[in-house]
Amino acid sequence: MNTTIETLDSATIVKATGRLDFEASASFQKELEQAIANAAARKAAVAINCEGIEYVSSAGLRVFLVAARAAKSAAIGFGVCSLTAGVKEVFDISGFGRIIDVFPDQAAALAKFSTPA
Amino acid sequence: MISLTEELVLLAIEDDGKIAYTAGSPGFAMALIGACLVELNILGRIDADLDAVNVLSTEPTGIETLDAILKQLGAGPKRPVRTWSRELQPICNELVKLSLRSLLQRGVLQQTEARFLWALRSRRYPMIDGKEQKEAKLRIISMLLSTELPTPHDTVLIGLAVAGGLLESFLTRAQIAQLADRIGVVGGLDLVVRGVEAAIRDDAELRARVMMMSVH
Repeated sequence: MNTTIETLDSATIVKATGRLDFEASASFQKELEQAIANAAARKAAVAINCEGIEYVSSAGLRVFLVAARAAKSAAIGFGVCSLTAGVKEVFDISGFGRIIDVFPDQAAALAKFSTPA
Repeated sequence: MISLTEELVLLAIEDDGKIAYTAGSPGFAMALIGACLVELNILGRIDADLDAVNVLSTEPTGIETLDAILKQLGAGPKRPVRTWSRELQPICNELVKLSLRSLLQRGVLQQTEARFLWALRSRRYPMIDGKEQKEAKLRIISMLLSTELPTPHDTVLIGLAVAGGLLESFLTRAQIAQLADRIGVVGGLDLVVRGVEAAIRDDAELRARVMMMSVH
């Protein structure tokens, strides 16, 4: 799994590509925690762009919950965008859409995070 | 550390030390299997998705309950959580026995005749790894009354407690109804829990069908 991080004014965009399974979950979690800590230091939000994530397993899904907790604890915005069909199905079935902001695309996520709360 | 499986067993013990009647239900059995699957996932022995439980390694974990399940998973065909939860139900009694034995040995519970009593009246687990941990019921209630996001461990615990009918052992029906929305949000943010819920629905439907057929 590959990750790139883009730092914008209002948000940090974490773009991930590949399979988010048990093998990939620990390192992805570390990268996300670091991105959230850096974003929190400048009071910016974090959005995970999932357009390149082709698969999420139960272990991978847990990473989103850990990240959402870290963002909440740091009092910064957090969300995911551009879910592929397979990942959207996993989010729908597991109920993650009820605890995490899910945006159709990156522009929608940035629009939300650019707006003062 | 108290495992998820052990915490579910603790939830099935009522305040007077008796085992809750729900512990005899298929739902409880499947919730216990689900707890083992989640623990095996965390330990890297399996991973799960909507279609199948994938065995990553059959190396024993050294935890009797988990190894009993892992052995079956390793020897069987690829199946979803939904199917495994029902298939492995017969192991449930053994899982309860092993969990109770472990809780007694570690001093969390004390056995008096047919009752299991908390060793510490504070309803906290004895200090393990230098950390004190609130008991499962207290953690669940506190999570349901807060606006916090649950830990991965606690969302599974709440989801499986609901699926296994264990909330009724410490919350009234009115309280459960009042907290229904919050339970729906924080319980079972996990694919294994969703598989267990589906298995419990399948089981109930099958029982209903068998009952209806027996009328003819």
